Amino acid sequence: MKPFVPPPSALRALLAALLIAFAIPTGLAAAGEKADYAIGVDGLACPFCAYGIEKQLNRIAGVETVSTDIESGTVTVTMEEGVTLEEVAATKAVEDAGFTLRTFERKAVGE
Amino acid sequence: MIARRTGVRAAVVILGVGTLVATADAAPQTFNTALPVAKGEFVFREQFIYRRAADDPSPADRDVEVLGAISVLGYGVTPDLAMFGVLPFLDKELEVTMPGGARATRKTSGIGDARLFGRYTVYQDDAPGRTFRVAPFLGLELPTGDDDDRDGLGRLPATLQLGSGSWDPFGGIVVTYQTLDFQIDAQASYKVNTGANGFEFGDQARLDLSLQYRLWPRELGAGTPGFLYGGLEGNLIHRGRNEIAGIDDRDSGGVSFFLSPGLQYVTRRWIAEAIVQVPVVQSLNGSALEDDFIARAGFRVNF
Repeated sequence: MKPFVPPPSALRALLAALLIAFAIPTGLAAAGEKADYAIGVDGLACPFCAYGIEKQLNRIAGVETVSTDIESGTVTVTMEEGVTLEEVAATKAVEDAGFTLRTFERKAVGE
Repeated sequence: MIARRTGVRAAVVILGVGTLVATADAAPQTFNTALPVAKGEFVFREQFIYRRAADDPSPADRDVEVLGAISVLGYGVTPDLAMFGVLPFLDKELEVTMPGGARATRKTSGIGDARLFGRYTVYQDDAPGRTFRVAPFLGLELPTGDDDDRDGLGRLPATLQLGSGSWDPFGGIVVTYQTLDFQIDAQASYKVNTGANGFEFGDQARLDLSLQYRLWPRELGAGTPGFLYGGLEGNLIHRGRNEIAGIDDRDSGGVSFFLSPGLQYVTRRWIAEAIVQVPVVQSLNGSALEDDFIARAGFRVNF
């Protein structure tokens, strides 16, 4: 009787299912992984105001760097390894600076 | 008596140096803005002022100079509510020809009347690259400046004193429309001057308008470059007549309109700015002395 050997496609499907099962609940912030977040901000139209938003975002634990592209109104936040930026925290930071969060998107580092 | 009369006539020039200066953000230089101060954060502004009025056709040949350094600290209590404190340091000098023909100089310097006020954003419409805001404000001018300074000729006239000695409320509303390319601010305000030492400055009503246009960079690249704005501001100011012992002084008050070209360089952390206020219309009562010009320069820091 031959031992059961699953086909390679089945192994790949199982691996993918395990990754999804464990990655999604932790916000895709696996240990050793950094994450970038692109935050679209409405109402941002001058450099001095941009700094107010950056200061609020820098208060969030685990934020490594914050940079702003003023033309697109996009603030990019890089988190420390394994730390997730929650949308509710980003929304509060933007609103505390006096502006409105338009979009919130997680991106791979360097994406 | 002479001192009092010369001081009264200089009122139009000396008044208003410490009046509503812009507070924070990229903003007008001669009045306020509705742009926000982030919650829990401070902004600081220092504005230096030189004011001159020397074109006096009367025999008194009055010559008034005011140098000022006005410090403003703003704090964001909430995203909508910001509190501001304004503290002027003033150096005032009045030269006048006495009836005997001798030239007299009267001067003083020190802390002027401080102002505390709050500004609350009641309407906000944000979109990509632009914002529209409406914010009323309300405050009080405190009698922190010396109102009993004296020199060799006796007590300085009320208009030359550093402070009014009175508690003066003021309020208004400011509207701002800002885009990446330009910014428009408009403000209406009113200040109620109460009396002290038998003297009461006339109330002041103002309408202010500012247009700023981004001159550089012409095209925005990546990141957040510094912006160089060119601006034109207009100030329509009505001052009521002063009262001396309850009687109107006919040589005080009136309407002035200033047009003011200016430049402002705005970065993420600081702003450098300068503007010259040129009187275009001065319809003043009696022999009230007219302004020649007012120059302002300063900086703001986001920390």
